[in-house]
Amino acid sequence: MTIHLRLAASLTIAGAALGVAQPALADGDVICSGGPRENWKPVNDLKKAAWLERWEIIETRIEGDCYEVYARNQQGQVLEAFFHPVTLEKLVVFRRGTEVYRKNGFTG
Amino acid sequence: MIGKLRPLVWLLLALPALLMLYQLASGETFAFKLLHPTGELALRLMVLALMVGPLIAIFGRNRFLLGWLALRRNIGVAAFIYGLLHLVFYVMDMAAIGPILDEFWLPGIWTGWLSFALMLAAATISADWAVKVLGPWWQRVQYAVYGAVLIGALHWYWLDNNAGPALVHLAPLLILWALRGVIKRNRRARKKAREKEHLA
Repeated sequence: MTIHLRLAASLTIAGAALGVAQPALADGDVICSGGPRENWKPVNDLKKAAWLERWEIIETRIEGDCYEVYARNQQGQVLEAFFHPVTLEKLVVFRRGTEVYRKNGFTG
Repeated sequence: MIGKLRPLVWLLLALPALLMLYQLASGETFAFKLLHPTGELALRLMVLALMVGPLIAIFGRNRFLLGWLALRRNIGVAAFIYGLLHLVFYVMDMAAIGPILDEFWLPGIWTGWLSFALMLAAATISADWAVKVLGPWWQRVQYAVYGAVLIGALHWYWLDNNAGPALVHLAPLLILWALRGVIKRNRRARKKAREKEHLA
């Protein structure tokens, strides 16, 4: 019985530790400071911004307070780009998780 | 009992794949969108297959865990099939060999290939006859799945820039491995103590 109790206690503690660790681990998420949704530019404008990069769009999404675009550039590289939803500025671009572009001074 | 259950388990394991293929064929979705669900399922099923070992070491043998153990190879093969689908959808999405080679050495990519290669090693010898022919070597090759699950999680982390989801999936295994380690050490210590008593 004691071993079961000990086991249950360990599992609970491990679970709790994981729960506490969770928010700290989430810092991989990009923060664009996009503000309230009603001020966001329409998705079509985002598509135009990606088109201006000469990218072929795979998918557009809302990720946190950012616009996110998955696209292929002219070299066929798959890119994951985060745009500010109001200014439609390109903030940061990843290629398969590796950062390949970051706007000067952007720390989000 | 498990023999009767097996077809049902297969159906259950195949259901998400059938649904994905149907959605793909009907144009409801496209290869890129299926990358995430297939990769996630492959990892989840590997975790499910690996969990039963330490669970038995911790709680001992009972009917539930033995049933789970009997289905472990099926779960493992299903994990491999979702890994294979993941790769097929990746190739479909990339559509050309040039861009695939071009990004091969990115951290988020080679880890995926390596994890798949390890799964492949374990899956190719999943047939009953291979278990018999290979004897103790069969088990040794199956240890590749440990590598596949850990490197698969690393692949996810490096692609996502976020350790959260990958770690949540690994958590049950990490906790069980740690507990199994503790329990084994305790058992060994108790055995040693008993032997000492015996000698004294």
